[in-house]
Amino acid sequence: MDYLRVTSEPDLAEALSVDGAVPLAGGTDLLVKVRAGVARPGLLVDVSRVESLRGLSRSQDGLSIGAALPLADLLGDAAVRDAYPLLATVLRSLGSTQIRSRATLGGNLANASPAADGALALLAYDARLTLASRAGSRALPLREFFRGPGRTALARGEYVHSITLPAPDANQAFFFHKVGRRRALTIAIASVAGLLSLEDGVIVDARIAAGSVAPTPLRLAAVEDALRGCRLDAALARAAGDSASREVSPITDVRASADYRRDVTGELVARFLSTALRASS
Amino acid sequence: MRIRLRVNGREREVEVAAGDRLLDVLRDGLHLTGTKEGCGEGECGACTVLVDGRPANSCLVLAAQMDGCDILTIEGLAEAGRLHPIQEAFVEAGAVQCGFCTPGFVMSAHALLAATPNPSDEQILEALEGNVCRCTGYAKILSAVRRAAAQLGTRDPSREAA
Ligand SMILES: Cc1cc2nc3c(=O)[nH]c(=O)nc-3n(C[C@H](O)[C@H](O)[C@H](O)COP(=O)(O)OP(=O)(O)OC[C@H]3O[C@@H](n4cnc5c(N)ncnc54)[C@H](O)[C@@H]3O)c2cc1C
Ligand code: FES
Ligand code: FES
Repeated sequence: MDYLRVTSEPDLAEALSVDGAVPLAGGTDLLVKVRAGVARPGLLVDVSRVESLRGLSRSQDGLSIGAALPLADLLGDAAVRDAYPLLATVLRSLGSTQIRSRATLGGNLANASPAADGALALLAYDARLTLASRAGSRALPLREFFRGPGRTALARGEYVHSITLPAPDANQAFFFHKVGRRRALTIAIASVAGLLSLEDGVIVDARIAAGSVAPTPLRLAAVEDALRGCRLDAALARAAGDSASREVSPITDVRASADYRRDVTGELVARFLSTALRASS
Repeated sequence: MRIRLRVNGREREVEVAAGDRLLDVLRDGLHLTGTKEGCGEGECGACTVLVDGRPANSCLVLAAQMDGCDILTIEGLAEAGRLHPIQEAFVEAGAVQCGFCTPGFVMSAHALLAATPNPSDEQILEALEGNVCRCTGYAKILSAVRRAAAQLGTRDPSREAA
């Protein structure tokens, strides 16, 4: 295994065009896999010092976050925390202080774990990705990025450049809950992140993302569709929980059974809506 | 490859292999064995050092990535043979049993108190969430960090005001 540090995107794109080359950002997923022998990259291309991948910029289109910006930097920005409280809440629960010093959103997404927490918040915000390679760059909605556990839409030699979140809606209620065995450092058994917009008690927009309950992090589109236009009440919250349990397709593994994961997801979705109901009345 | 880094204030130049971790270079290359390896995968915090002022798991960082960086390890805290106030506070609070986790906790506490001189208990617990102790339970560690914050506050009033 070799190591190469690049400091510009042209050099990065060039380095990644070689067979066996993979990006290394914070290393908090990749280096664990390398040590365990699960990943055997020929060349680690260190992206952490490419300035253009560490940006944080606001425009009318929203917020653009460099793929290699450490989470600690993102969380250190008060304006980001205020405008995107769901993102801040989720990232504060990711790993530990030590992990957040180095971990990045680019790594969280490209690692494509069904349990990726950052991915949940970004899915709920309808994030768009800018992907780049020697051939140029392209935009892709995050929803189309995940293809399976550890698999993404990244083509060979392509990297995540940045993540763009649309301008925030200040009146959204948000919810995040991760069920695991220990507060810090938990790989979730099931997790739900949601955003809800209400007008006079009627749901105008609901976005619900679930983790660890399908081959990829996903939005519960059927639940969201069923909620839109409905008056939020306790019965609706329960019904949405039940349909969330049906919409997910979890597996049984050492951490939990499939049935338990279904139940937890349903319970979390119901809790999200009933909390929002209480807060609005 | 050769890298240059600053460790505990001293410029160092070391030869490293691509797969070497910062932890390996500190312990085996520079004989700074105060930094411990517990799990080797980011879970226990025994290997915590500060990289450019931020706590990081030295078991999850490649040495090669540290070229040009400023590293602080537990050996860099004591001055002129006197323990650092955070170290003293751990001793006084009885927060050390076997001691294996202690360097990591002290480094995490150091990063916290540099940024937040007057932390709430919640902030202390959050700062220490990546450190595991198998002996003490966490009450004495929490009180050690409280004690260190108070101590540092009286020693350096300019920080308290910040
Ligand atoms: C102790 C511990 C606790 C953790 N807790 C959590 C948790 O609570 N929630 C959670 O979601 N995750 C958790 N993780 C996993 C990990 O920290 C996160 O997924 C993190 O965001 C990964 O980012 P990174 O920069 O470290 O990625 P890296 O390890 O550097 O890279 C991960 C993958 O992404 C690729 N990659 C990196 N950057 C790019 C890019 N710009 N373009 C294309 N590909 C890229 C790499 O090639 C690699 O395949 C934990 C990990 C550890 C060790
Ligand atoms: S040895 Fe690094 S976190 Fe356990
Ligand atoms: S004192 Fe023994 S592990 Fe903490």
